[in-house]
Amino acid sequence: MKQERPSSSPSLKSLARLLPFARPYAWQFAGVIALVVVFNASSVMQPYLVKIAIDQDISSHHPNPRGLVDIAALYIGVVVAGVAANYLQITLLQKAGQSVIRSIRVGLFQHIERQSMRFFDSRAVGALVANVSNDTETVNQFFTNFFLSMIRDGLSILMILVAMFRLDVRMGLFSLVLVPIIFAVAAGFQGALRRRYQRTRTLLAGMVAFLAENLAGMRITQLFRQEVRQAEKFRDLAGQHRDASTREYLTSVWFNRTFETLGNVSVAAVVYIGGTAVLGGAIPIGTLYAFIRYIQQFFQPINAMTQQWNTLQSAMVAAERIGQILEIEPEVLDPEVPVSLSNDARGRVEFRHVTFGYHPRHPVLRDVSFVAEPGSFVGIVGPTGAGKSSLMSLLLRFYDPDEGDVLLDGVPVRQLAQDALHRLVGIVQQEVHLFTGTIRDNIRLFREDISDERVQQAARAVGADRVIARLPDGYDTVIYGRGANLSMGERQLIAFARIVALDPKVLVLDEATANLDSQTEMWVQRGLVAASQGRTTLVIAHRLSTIRHADQILVLDRGRIVERGRHDELVRLGGLYARLHAESGVESRLFS
Amino acid sequence: MRPQSLLKSYLWEHRFGYVGSTLSILVSEWIFVQFPNVLGRFTDALSAHRLSGRGVFMYALVLMAIGTLYVFFYGIGQSQNGRAARGFEYLLRTKLFDHWEKMDVDYFRRRSIGDLLSHAMNDVQQVREALSGGLNILTNAVFLLIATLVMTFTTVSLKLTVLSMIPLLAIPFFVVWIGPKVRASSKQVQEALSSMSELAEESFTAIRLVKATANEPIEVKRFADRVDHIVSQQVSLVRKQAAFQSIIPTASSVAFGIALLYGGWLTIRHEIPIGAFVAFTLYLGQLVVPLQQIGQVINSYQRASASMARLDVLLQEKPSVADPPHPVRLERIEGAVDIHLDAFTYPDGKRPVLMDIHLSVRPGQTLGIVGRTGSGKTTLVSLLPRIYDPPPGAIRIDGCDVRDLSLEQLRKAIAFVPQDGFLFSTTLRENIAFGRPDAADEDIVAAARAACLEDDVARFPDGYDTLVGERGVTLSGGQRQRTAIARAWLKDAPILILDDSLSAVDMETEKRILASFRALRRRRTVFIIAHRLSAVRDADWIVVLDDGRIAEQGTHGDLVRRGGIYAEMYRLQAREEEVS
Repeated sequence: MKQERPSSSPSLKSLARLLPFARPYAWQFAGVIALVVVFNASSVMQPYLVKIAIDQDISSHHPNPRGLVDIAALYIGVVVAGVAANYLQITLLQKAGQSVIRSIRVGLFQHIERQSMRFFDSRAVGALVANVSNDTETVNQFFTNFFLSMIRDGLSILMILVAMFRLDVRMGLFSLVLVPIIFAVAAGFQGALRRRYQRTRTLLAGMVAFLAENLAGMRITQLFRQEVRQAEKFRDLAGQHRDASTREYLTSVWFNRTFETLGNVSVAAVVYIGGTAVLGGAIPIGTLYAFIRYIQQFFQPINAMTQQWNTLQSAMVAAERIGQILEIEPEVLDPEVPVSLSNDARGRVEFRHVTFGYHPRHPVLRDVSFVAEPGSFVGIVGPTGAGKSSLMSLLLRFYDPDEGDVLLDGVPVRQLAQDALHRLVGIVQQEVHLFTGTIRDNIRLFREDISDERVQQAARAVGADRVIARLPDGYDTVIYGRGANLSMGERQLIAFARIVALDPKVLVLDEATANLDSQTEMWVQRGLVAASQGRTTLVIAHRLSTIRHADQILVLDRGRIVERGRHDELVRLGGLYARLHAESGVESRLFS
Repeated sequence: MRPQSLLKSYLWEHRFGYVGSTLSILVSEWIFVQFPNVLGRFTDALSAHRLSGRGVFMYALVLMAIGTLYVFFYGIGQSQNGRAARGFEYLLRTKLFDHWEKMDVDYFRRRSIGDLLSHAMNDVQQVREALSGGLNILTNAVFLLIATLVMTFTTVSLKLTVLSMIPLLAIPFFVVWIGPKVRASSKQVQEALSSMSELAEESFTAIRLVKATANEPIEVKRFADRVDHIVSQQVSLVRKQAAFQSIIPTASSVAFGIALLYGGWLTIRHEIPIGAFVAFTLYLGQLVVPLQQIGQVINSYQRASASMARLDVLLQEKPSVADPPHPVRLERIEGAVDIHLDAFTYPDGKRPVLMDIHLSVRPGQTLGIVGRTGSGKTTLVSLLPRIYDPPPGAIRIDGCDVRDLSLEQLRKAIAFVPQDGFLFSTTLRENIAFGRPDAADEDIVAAARAACLEDDVARFPDGYDTLVGERGVTLSGGQRQRTAIARAWLKDAPILILDDSLSAVDMETEKRILASFRALRRRRTVFIIAHRLSAVRDADWIVVLDDGRIAEQGTHGDLVRRGGIYAEMYRLQAREEEVS
């Protein structure tokens, strides 16, 4: 079910902004127009050919069987040409439309991936996905259905009118009077139809939501013996939906029937006007025949065009949403001339008087300075909200600090190209993200430059190979639904293997808080040690045992480093770390 | 109730409506087929110069009458069928809901809600489509076909009709053949679309990882691959649709060409009048639509019958927990519970999850149950209200096997606060009063007070009319649990079960809630499952479950002195309390 999302007032301008995406396919669109002309011409010619057959070959005083054969052959030829043009037109237009949408989709996705973390902080993933999938789909309707209808139906009306005027001006004028009437009737009904349709949709969504909730909470209904009452509520919702749906249906039935009546009445009028003309000898009988057929062809395109109004409206809203995203420039940008670190980067991390906040007035880090020497192991501890994760985000340049500098091998990270920085600094997050795909692809993150051997080496190094061997297809086991088929500990091991395979110089690790059983816990600890081997490692620790042997421990509290040193020194100091250490003894394994 | 017999009885109940709608469609078609005939006769009269101005006017009037009456009768039949089909849709949905309300928890555990929803929405709608549009089109197509053929046989020429019809006969076969292909193809497009959305969602959710590994180009490439897949699926779908849209006009144009050739020749040779020729070309146009529709109806009926079969399977399932044939009726339930359970295994399980549980709880007593996750605590209390069915005779309330009581009496006697504290997306008031919709406001307030929810409610701008959102998302975890407790409190049942329902409230509030329950305990049998021992400390009897068996039992004092699992838990938690 599509959700209503707010948007500013849509305009044609928003659609025009997407036109550059369509420019490369201008020739295809021109081809579509040419094919539509062929198709329409064939439709308009058909009654005319029959008219010629009637007036010249059949009804004339000198019947001409030979001419009849020619006309019949021509008739079939014209239809086949029209059908072929139509087939080509449909496929060509879809290809062009799909190509446009493809560029918009990929461009939009690329644009979103380039955004800084602040962009993602303030937006729901669901809304972004809707931008990429639904909104582009709606815009596609503009490039295909709307475009086609305007060309095909507009041309149809025009060509039929021209044909009519050429046959007989008086009757052409009569038909011209019909056009606004048909438009008015169609537009009136379309409005009512749209309202009823939306009401039915809303009621349907309400019914689905009620049903989903009640299926999930059926146990509660049964335990509280409220089956009868809930069933009555459902009857009420389903009944409302039935009534709305019936009203919608009846509206559409009577719309179609009214339209048809209008058509039949018009034919009767043509019979009267044309018949009188034939009586007066003003037109031959074949012309009357052609007029009857033309009048019947007149209604469909007008109806189709009024329906496109909705398409245009929703396409403008969708284009507006897409445009709003495309307008946003990423906050964190690469420097114009990035400094390149030599290949033998050492991985020395330094924070120099760093102050940072997500909101300008509320710094979460204040004047933080420290150095992590190449290859050293640094632990970071502190209560929730102390600023530990922000520290890591700055090192990865997810954000830029408000004051001070973050340096890698002596170079401020904002002077490095982001992809260069991110190849040097790796991250293992608390929550392990797994992608739909094989274990192998999850370890190498779909990079083809990482060989199968390297994947296996990495898995072996951190002890993930045991877990993988137990899976039904080993490295080729497909992970579904964000890794629901793996336990927390197994996911951690995959994340370690991933980092070893990517081989960064600096490793940032946010330890998982979830409790693991003692066997897995041991494996994870070993994996961590293996992953940190030969790298500068910064660990946000939730279990103090993890950092007991760290080269340096930083204790963070309310954005400041309040204590630093080795484990023993800090315990002796008797401050915050000592208190945390005492509490950690309570960590009970009895409850998981 | 099988859906097939449901349909039969529904059709029988609405037989007059259906007869009426069929008749009016029939009448409309009979009127409709006069149109080309009248037009043909008009052409004849006109070309023979047998018409006056008044005659022309009369013809126009007759044509107008035909056009209006046909539309009117067809509209009536269509409306009636559409309305009746929506009535059946409603009936089928409510039957499904009633059916689901009888099913047990295990049934819902084995199925995804999405799957059940798709039955209630898509399958039911499929049946409605066949009944509404399908029936209209079928009646329309069959009668129109017959009427048109009869008209052409009698007024034009049998030979001309048969000859021109030949290319048209292929149409229904073609539609039946390509219809399912188009559907399958369109399903593939949908799948390709959702696979792209999935990837976008995964990638945006894991954006930190993607950025930290400089993996954006790889993600863009993966995304582009999925988009390419959509493009190719879409183009293949459109090819099929375009073929569908091309074959039918081609077949009808060939038929028309034959009509033009042969009909024209017949006219030249004066075997048929010019009017008959004109009428025939119009009739031929009328034949194309019903022939195409017959193919569509066949496809629609095939889908609907598959849906009916799925619904049948669904409705045939019997709940494994149901009322006994002859329930025992207890005058009033005191709340004595006796458990003599040798083993309990889940319906689809292999190993028993509970073994050798023997317990007696007298009315008004409190039983505390502790143990690690997975030790069987929740399973044990689930057997009391028959969320899962215990073995016969294993669980007795006031000496009576729970399986012999009616579900109505059994579940009225038990107030259950589940672990997740499931709430409905209505107001706080409606949630608290869920078990007693007619409860007075004072009672609701009293229940909220007992669950320590009163102060929270006072802070909500809408008080008891605050909407709690889907599954109570607008409330904190603790507020959700306390609302669930208030709901159970208001039920006022002799047996109360708290299944780890205090985990998200702080210790101070826990104490107050337990105190209000203690005031009540004199009249109530209470089961408390807890992780925090403070919640069970004052219980009359405590059992420690481990791996489905009772590892230890006794009063708090006994167990602490015994120095087993409980004592160890107590020691650790006492230290934790000091630290915090």
